[in-house]
Amino acid sequence: MRIPLKYNVGSLWVRRVGTLMTALGIGLTVAIFITMQALVNGLDATFVETGRPNHLIVIRDGALNETNSYFNRDLLGTIKLLPGIRTDETGEPLASGEIIVVINHPRITGESSNVVVRGTTPAGLKLRPEMTLVQGNWFRRGLREIVVSESMSRRFQNMRLGDSLSMSRSSWKVVGLFSAGGRAHESEVFTDVEDVAQDWDRPIYTSLLLEASDAAAAQAIIKRVADDRRIHLQAVSQQKYFRDQTVSSVGIKGLGTFIAFVMGVGSCFAAMNMMYATVMSRTKEVGTLRVLGFSRSSILSSFMVESILLALCGGLVGCLLALPLHGISTGTANFVTFSEVLFNFRITPRILLQGMIFAGIVGIFGGALPARRASRVTLIEALRQ
Amino acid sequence: MKYFALLYKNVLRNHRRTLLTVTSIAVSLFLVATLLTLLNELQNPIETPDSALRLITRHKVSLFNSLPIAYRQKIAKVEGVQAVMGSMWFGGVYKDPSNFFAQFSADTDQFFEVNADMIIPEDQKQAFLKDRTGCIVGKSLAKRFDWKLGDRIHLKGALFQFDPELTVRGIYEGGSDLGTTLFFHWEYFNEGLNNAGFTGTFTIRARSADEVPKIAERVDALFQNAPVPTKTETERAFILGFASMLGNVQLLITSICSAIIFAIVLVAANTMAMSIRERVREIGVMKALGFHSNRILALLLAESMLLALAGTLLGSLGARTIYSRLDLATLTSGFLLRLDVNPKILLLCFGIGCVVGLLAAGVPAWRASRFPAIEALRRVA
Repeated sequence: MRIPLKYNVGSLWVRRVGTLMTALGIGLTVAIFITMQALVNGLDATFVETGRPNHLIVIRDGALNETNSYFNRDLLGTIKLLPGIRTDETGEPLASGEIIVVINHPRITGESSNVVVRGTTPAGLKLRPEMTLVQGNWFRRGLREIVVSESMSRRFQNMRLGDSLSMSRSSWKVVGLFSAGGRAHESEVFTDVEDVAQDWDRPIYTSLLLEASDAAAAQAIIKRVADDRRIHLQAVSQQKYFRDQTVSSVGIKGLGTFIAFVMGVGSCFAAMNMMYATVMSRTKEVGTLRVLGFSRSSILSSFMVESILLALCGGLVGCLLALPLHGISTGTANFVTFSEVLFNFRITPRILLQGMIFAGIVGIFGGALPARRASRVTLIEALRQ
Repeated sequence: MKYFALLYKNVLRNHRRTLLTVTSIAVSLFLVATLLTLLNELQNPIETPDSALRLITRHKVSLFNSLPIAYRQKIAKVEGVQAVMGSMWFGGVYKDPSNFFAQFSADTDQFFEVNADMIIPEDQKQAFLKDRTGCIVGKSLAKRFDWKLGDRIHLKGALFQFDPELTVRGIYEGGSDLGTTLFFHWEYFNEGLNNAGFTGTFTIRARSADEVPKIAERVDALFQNAPVPTKTETERAFILGFASMLGNVQLLITSICSAIIFAIVLVAANTMAMSIRERVREIGVMKALGFHSNRILALLLAESMLLALAGTLLGSLGARTIYSRLDLATLTSGFLLRLDVNPKILLLCFGIGCVVGLLAAGVPAWRASRFPAIEALRRVA
């Protein structure tokens, strides 16, 4: 026979100050857990969502990423001739020869960070349709014009629309602000490839971006590039290229797991404390329940339910506390390119569910011993109170 | 002190409750101590007398741009410079990209003068200097990959199209990297790159600490109008530059710590409230015996402080003991070099403990101490 849930709710309500304090304590733990998960998720999603399935990035063979790749410009022509590259409306293969350079640039807050500047082409913009202009215009060739994302414009100095900043040998003007739906492009400064080549004396490409017509063509291109020993290049799917960069979140992941574990243990003790107090003050009630014919196991499960209920209230509080963080923009080091990547805290229903499960586990561990104690209350003990 | 016995009895009145509260506080303070130490290590890199004498010169634009090796002679002649070495991040792959660690090619003329704080046996030092394809590795790194003297290390170039074949000639301890780096000869690297003649940075050792800021100005002035301008900063500032790339770690860690502290205030307050509620009658008796309300308030506060401080000391000293015994560099694959819970952080934790104790007992103790004695005595437990 089960003891009705109403009994537990009533009991939590009677001790509402204690319940509230314990729940809030667990809630703070859950909020920290959700915050760390939201950081990891936001950072990972930024990379994962940037990669498109049929897009390929071509870099020098042996290079780990664009920042340590460079090759002769003639190779663009060779690559463009490969079959299976999607063409634009004029029949030209969609392939863009690009140069990236990294500058050290101050944030609004004063300290400096590394920022990627990408020289691209009209094809490059076509290959990144998720980039949409929010204000101003796209850059024009030869005028030393740059376009930055809205989030960069808010995070770095001299990056508001109309500002000028000095890079390499020239002064560059911010002529437009773009948005790319939170993707990794939002961490880069975009300009014309020739302007970068001239200003940095780099008559090379660091990478090519191209789009295969379908998945099979993409595989064929990857294989052909790898097999051609003369060109020393490698083609990587853009999806894999960006997925590899999620290694950047490994530090936050480790820290988050460590914090969640330690805080979880602390919360278990706090919940246990509260549940023991409940059990002790209700010895008489437990005795009455036993007399009424409720079995030891139903008393055990009733107290477990109460502990889990208490912890879940905490979980709910935690979710509510953490939710306002959703969407807040921040940045950290991209461990692969060694430059700054901007991303948003991202709380998903899945993370909220994980938070509730986390709270539930705290409830189970915190409630087990007190519930066992309650189930072992003897009638003599109960009557003595 | 005459009340100590009473305090002691009261704290231990309910063993289990005391134990659970103290453990809960201890675990949380352990975490706070860890996080504060982590933040401190990021913001205050170890400053030894040797490290305070070192400066790093890099390309003015960013670390990604390299400097001509010819700058070395010019820097060596700058007033106040005792020794200088060029070094270049190699960033090669050892067996698998996941085996990431720092690798530098360094010019060896004055290597050990610049890195005077490296501890390495003299014979190994000489063996390294003599072998053009030799390398020295940090002790913690050697432990990670189980390298011994004479072992061959094959690195695959990623930034550069050059795969060095190296032999371990020495294993060092200390240095500014705490033994986590591999150094090999710049000359070998340069040959591999068809004598391109460039390096990433120059590390300068100043004659005295007073010279340090002046050297930075002199070096940068020297190359101000050159095609490749430089930026020279202290080793400390250079390391801090890396830490700042991680983003706003300070805000993250301080907010987490505040949330944790708030949570323990709640836990301790709950305990105190429960404990005081059970004792209302007893407090009434004490009042009837002539104890002043303020004295009762003080006793209750002291009890709460005792609980909070026991947890705090257990947690923070525990953190100190645990981290001083762990080989963190090996455990975290070089991600974390060490966590030194220093006296300043212990003191801060102690302060947090005091505040938690006071806040936790505040409301219930105040109410209990102001409760009319008659009312309290009338209550039947």
